[in-house]
Amino acid sequence: MTDKVSFIKQVTKALGRSKMIRPTENYATAIFDDRHLASANAVQAVTDADSMSASLIEQMVQSADEAGWKVHRTDNFEESAELIVSICKDHNANSVLRSAHSVLTDIPLDSALTASGAVLEVTEHSSESSIQQIQKSKSAAFRADVGITGVDYAVAETGTVVLHPRAGVSRLLSLAPPTHIAVLRPGDVLASLDELFAIQRDDFLNGELQGSMNLISGPSKTADIEGTTVTGIHGPLEVHLIIIENNKS
Amino acid sequence: MKPLTINFRSKAAQTIVDEQVQNSLEHVYTGFYQGRLNAAADTPNWEELRTKGKAIKDHTIAHLDHYLDMLSGKVEENGGTVFFADNADEARQYITKLAKDRDIATVIKAKSMVSEEMSLAENMNDAGFEAVETDLGEYIIQLAGETPYHLIAPAVHKSRKDVADLLDKDFTDGDRVPDATELTMLAREQLRDVFARADMSVTGVNFAVAESGSIVLVTNEGNGRMSTSVPRIHVAVMGMEKIVPSIQDLSTMLRILIRSATGQRISTYVTMVNGPKTPDEEEGPDEFHLVIMNNGRHKLLRDPLLRESLNCIRCGACLNACPVYRKVGGHAYGWVYPGPIGAIVTPVITGLKDASDLPAASSLCGACHEACPVKINIPRMLLELRHRTAEGLSDPNERTSKFSERAIWKAWRIGMMGRGRFDWGARIGYLFMRPFSINGWMKKAPPPISGWTLSRDFPLIARESLKSRLNRRHKKDV
Amino acid sequence: MPETLYNNLGTQSVTLFATCMIDQMAPAVGESTVEVLEHLGLQVNFVDQQTCCGQPAFNSGFRSESLPVAQRFLELFEKVDGPIIVPSGSCAAMVRNFYTDLFKHDEGLVERARSLSERVYEFTEFIDRFFGCNAIVGTCDDQVTYHKCCHLLREIGIDEQPLKMLSNIDGLRITPMNRADVCCGFGGAFSVKMPDISSAILDEKLDNIEATKANRLVAGDIGCIYQIQGGLRRRGSTTRVLHIAEILSESIRNSKTGKVTE
Repeated sequence: MTDKVSFIKQVTKALGRSKMIRPTENYATAIFDDRHLASANAVQAVTDADSMSASLIEQMVQSADEAGWKVHRTDNFEESAELIVSICKDHNANSVLRSAHSVLTDIPLDSALTASGAVLEVTEHSSESSIQQIQKSKSAAFRADVGITGVDYAVAETGTVVLHPRAGVSRLLSLAPPTHIAVLRPGDVLASLDELFAIQRDDFLNGELQGSMNLISGPSKTADIEGTTVTGIHGPLEVHLIIIENNKS
Repeated sequence: MKPLTINFRSKAAQTIVDEQVQNSLEHVYTGFYQGRLNAAADTPNWEELRTKGKAIKDHTIAHLDHYLDMLSGKVEENGGTVFFADNADEARQYITKLAKDRDIATVIKAKSMVSEEMSLAENMNDAGFEAVETDLGEYIIQLAGETPYHLIAPAVHKSRKDVADLLDKDFTDGDRVPDATELTMLAREQLRDVFARADMSVTGVNFAVAESGSIVLVTNEGNGRMSTSVPRIHVAVMGMEKIVPSIQDLSTMLRILIRSATGQRISTYVTMVNGPKTPDEEEGPDEFHLVIMNNGRHKLLRDPLLRESLNCIRCGACLNACPVYRKVGGHAYGWVYPGPIGAIVTPVITGLKDASDLPAASSLCGACHEACPVKINIPRMLLELRHRTAEGLSDPNERTSKFSERAIWKAWRIGMMGRGRFDWGARIGYLFMRPFSINGWMKKAPPPISGWTLSRDFPLIARESLKSRLNRRHKKDV
Repeated sequence: MPETLYNNLGTQSVTLFATCMIDQMAPAVGESTVEVLEHLGLQVNFVDQQTCCGQPAFNSGFRSESLPVAQRFLELFEKVDGPIIVPSGSCAAMVRNFYTDLFKHDEGLVERARSLSERVYEFTEFIDRFFGCNAIVGTCDDQVTYHKCCHLLREIGIDEQPLKMLSNIDGLRITPMNRADVCCGFGGAFSVKMPDISSAILDEKLDNIEATKANRLVAGDIGCIYQIQGGLRRRGSTTRVLHIAEILSESIRNSKTGKVTE
């Protein structure tokens, strides 16, 4: 059985040294950037996302479309809720699940969906949820027709929606149902992956790194059979991105 | 996985004449290779990114001990468990014991070449677990009982008919072969069930971030995400070299990996896992294990010339660019890693003696070096390995050259060490070859170059050397 | 390559390194090289004692046999002044890019190799660098295509320049080849050690050549030229392959004599 010490010792030896030395600088990796620099980068990313939100949204619309999202732009919260209902109707959705993201309560989604007759489940449980309740939620995600989430960040460079986990069942909502709808607020669009990871690094250095992060850039796809691209292999076949242009009811 | 490198030549010969596989390998060029070129053209600072990526990996490998120490400390701080495996057997035993101890019934696997080194699925199935590959390509070859054909497209050599037969013998209706969509949907259905009941997942790692103890998975299908969301235990296995120091480094590395692999700006899914699930989450694994494996990589690390091969981020670009790979296919290389990078890594890890054909199977065209997102100088390393198999100067066990070959090069050297003998040797050669040639070309060349004329005419040596001709034109000597 | 010592060359005299294959198998290519260089106003010297740069043994891994041959090359060519012109990308690359690995156990040899490398040029590289791609004017009424030899492309870094030189020739129609930058499968000893793989790669190249319907193929390395010509002949093709020096000198001669073809 190998232990950590002897494993690492073997690596040190292979590097031609008798003792491990700690590097102190390198121009290419960001690991030597101190907290101030990391913080400054993160702040810049967020500031730019806000000040350039109009142009970043235009970029996002294009890159998301190229990545395979069905992109919709709405003017206000109500329109957004209506649009979601109409997408669900198009898919004859009976069972709809949504995450606990705040944007999904900002828009009058629950009432609109209930009114339309779709069975809406909100997967927010308390810490006292039983194992059975949790299992039930997971199974519901596999049975659902549509999964709805918010968007924590979007990345204009790549047409990417970034999701952090929410309380309850949230990872599966953008993965298991055949249709996924993501709702994006302006001001959450970052220019590129550099900005996204700058924010993550800053969060990490502040002890606030989330347990996981998922970057989603279009519908699930594969080209493993004869090089032909097919969508919807394990994840959703169809993904919709709703961009609410104004924070208005 | 037991290396079958000794079969390189026969496997290569079989593949060259297999029309269906040759058609599939053509896709590797028109699809992946072209994709990378298009993505590179589309990325204004592409060369800068490559330079930076190389520098990040050079630095990481040069301090691999330090970053392994950092990574493992952080993973444990985040609530994960780290297991250091010296070799594939140890890694497999750890995972199997873990599954046994936790009463696991179904194991899903996603995106791990390292797990192929330990033949994990096969062994776990033999041990009574249900171990299922979930990547469509890997699923197909698991059903076929084969090993991966390409780093990122494991079933590239299979036709639709092959796949239809593997997924369901009764699926084909008469002469009609189902199209790719139908087959994909069938696989989705078959695997859905497996996902829902999986208790443990084993995934690979595209990048392990040392500073935060995070692992990053790059996929297009969603099985990587399933693996990190549904089962109660997630085991990530990695070769010890797959580290990057900082979270911020990921923006560079993800760009060069994905654009070089498929030409996409980004893969459909990039999943970053920082440990087991947080208390208020309901899905997500309760346990996170990181298995860090050596399995012979220290042999690459300790050699300053071969060390660069550990910079590899497993994108497959070198395979797609290689004219040899595109003819001989993945299985000829006889182990987990095919293509140009395989021709370096496989012999050093599994034994140069049986794998001496691998570094020899190259025209040294340099397309791999040109394609590599982190600029690994593969031709230079191939030449080094050829030196070892030819002369075995630092380790006589590595010498596989035949006496006749050594004698030929000795004679060559003698012939090249003086102008007089150089000229005489050529003129004698001319005299011998002339009776067998017509219009300056031969249909059958003598050994040791008889292989040439199997498929090409061979040119006759000149009757008169250039030196002689120039001297006749009164060119001055120096 | 470090910055040149020569501004507009600054010398009238260059030395030819023929390469062993051109010297003993394709001397006409060597003569054409000399003719082109003389046409540019240069005096071309020839080191009578030259043989080989050592590449074949090096590529096959027999460095102990390659070393003395390479060292002999170094000794011979150190003695000459000025640029050394090599009508082969692979041989020029051997000296410039691989001698440091071959000589790595001897600092002195490494240093001498580096120093010599500063004035070693591949033929088209040399013309492009000091005279420009429009310097050679000539006539040739023909339809040709061009193959990008791997070492010239990736080790020396010469890509489109030879094509520019060819397009400067009056009457020469150049049909671009599909996958012109993909290897022909030669690879030196590889072509006889693994002939089935070498030929399979060649087949694809030959298909691409024939698809251009060109009368002749132009390339910069004699090994590739023999691989391709040998394969075309075996197929019964009438397409001929020639070295770029040959077509350039032919075009120059045509201009002088008033002919349009040879």
